[in-house]
Amino acid sequence: MEGLYIACIVLAAVAMVVITVIIPYGVFMRYAANSAASWPEPAGVLMMIVFSFIGGAAAYRANAHIAVGTVLNMVNAANRRRLEFAGDVGMGIVGVFMVKWGVLLVQAVWQNSIAEFPWLSVGVTYLPIPAAGVITLLFCVERLWLGQPPADSFTFRDQPQTE
Amino acid sequence: MDALILLFSFLILMFVGIPVAYAMGLATLITALWIDMPLEAVMLKISDGMDDFALLTIPFFVLAGAIMSEGGVARRLVDLAKVFVGFIRGGLALVNVLASTLFGCLSGSSVADTASIGSVMIPQMVKNGYDKVFATNVTICGSLQAILVPPSHNSVIYSIATGGTVSIAALFMAGVFPGLLFGACIVGLVLYTARKRNFPASEVVPLRQALKIALDAVWGLITIVIILGGILSGVFTAIESGAIACVYALFCTMVIYKEYKWRDLPKLLHRVTKTVAMVMMVIGFAAGFGYLMAIMQLPAKATELFLHVTTNKYLMLMLINVLLLLLGTFMDMAPMILICTPIMLPVVKAMGVDPVHFGMIMLLNLGIGLITPPVGPTLFVGCAIGKVTMEEVSRELWPFYAAMCIALLIITYVPAISLWLPRSLGY
Repeated sequence: MEGLYIACIVLAAVAMVVITVIIPYGVFMRYAANSAASWPEPAGVLMMIVFSFIGGAAAYRANAHIAVGTVLNMVNAANRRRLEFAGDVGMGIVGVFMVKWGVLLVQAVWQNSIAEFPWLSVGVTYLPIPAAGVITLLFCVERLWLGQPPADSFTFRDQPQTE
Repeated sequence: MDALILLFSFLILMFVGIPVAYAMGLATLITALWIDMPLEAVMLKISDGMDDFALLTIPFFVLAGAIMSEGGVARRLVDLAKVFVGFIRGGLALVNVLASTLFGCLSGSSVADTASIGSVMIPQMVKNGYDKVFATNVTICGSLQAILVPPSHNSVIYSIATGGTVSIAALFMAGVFPGLLFGACIVGLVLYTARKRNFPASEVVPLRQALKIALDAVWGLITIVIILGGILSGVFTAIESGAIACVYALFCTMVIYKEYKWRDLPKLLHRVTKTVAMVMMVIGFAAGFGYLMAIMQLPAKATELFLHVTTNKYLMLMLINVLLLLLGTFMDMAPMILICTPIMLPVVKAMGVDPVHFGMIMLLNLGIGLITPPVGPTLFVGCAIGKVTMEEVSRELWPFYAAMCIALLIITYVPAISLWLPRSLGY
């Protein structure tokens, strides 16, 4: 799972870097080259969907999502474990939902192509949804089976070094 | 009944500990099944929620802020603030607030502001005889300016929550004076406390050294010019200004300041990716949640309910302030903005409140929640940096709450503070 997490983060981060490059490129083309490029905007949106869904699945493994821990902190350890188990099962259900209806969505629009990229199916835009669903499910199974990733996992190695 | 299933399932799932984004998704799923709605439509709404080009503003400003905060910009802004206010009694606390104002204009995030300014200022303040808890409180309260002043990420989220009917540029402009007013209220409290507790004043910085400091800091401040100048002149859109701010932030910290190294970039991208993806997932699932709310006519029903309670605009704004302050203590800002805006905006619009003005009211209310237990991300970061407990900080936060409430009341009841600048600029 560590490898899958790293792959997700690398993919999402690359998507973010690509957007950061192509949007200024669009501005450069508009003012410096006097020839506005139409593709940076749809390409940016496509990349954004990739990093949102794939990064979102990775953020689940890293416990980085906004959650309300008030009740969890109020109950005893045994009840806390039960609630956490229920929470992880809930996450699994969302994962299944994303896989099943994400695939249906991809199938429904697969024959259509993106106006700016005629060689690319609209379905590709929605592919990150079922992909993120599968990844979320895998992380969910990992958590239910093995618990949280260890403290020395790559998942938590993102803080800047302090002097 | 349908609406109750949506709201209660969301609340139950959220309190079980499911991340807010996924709790919204699951509540939407349960309710859609209950009302026999095709789940393909829900899925389409969720993906459409993330399909908005304007959303790109968020990763850009988060990334630019993160680069600036680690690349030595915060330290230089603190030095610059010392030149202006360091010599006054309680100078370091004032420096803290002013540096937060300046850094807020670069980061647009109170958590980033607390982490950057706090790690420079809190140790300095403690070394100079300030109480550790007071130093932490000044840092976390001062950092809230970042949620109002441009380029506030939460302004972007509010714009998205209004369905794009309120422009990001108008909200950026609207936040300038409320942000400064908020800072002024904190400064007023700091000056009063400094006199009461006899805090020290630093020495006046000699002119030659002051000029050197100003020249050094100006490279970081150019980012504000890029963001605001680009948007106001019409050269860039808000999204493009964010992307260019990122590129400039890298150039500034790596080439000019030489404090940021390429080898540090993967870690930063790792952190920013997680933060941004988390916000985007909230936005996506909130779109599905909001779609069901609209189908059930929840906003219209809420408007009816609120108008039933009172038709007095001022009383209504007071009620909404109290409600938002309470809600803000339980949840982070992004989901609260996305859930509350579709419900409350029609109510206040029916009473003649401008949506841009309401945006400022909402941001400040929910912002105060960021430093209030039990869910206060800025408070948690401040406590970790100040090495103080949440209880110690909370005990001494009351005067700050009073100052912030004064700012909130002025911003609520004097719309011109929020609206004068955007209207003057034609937004």
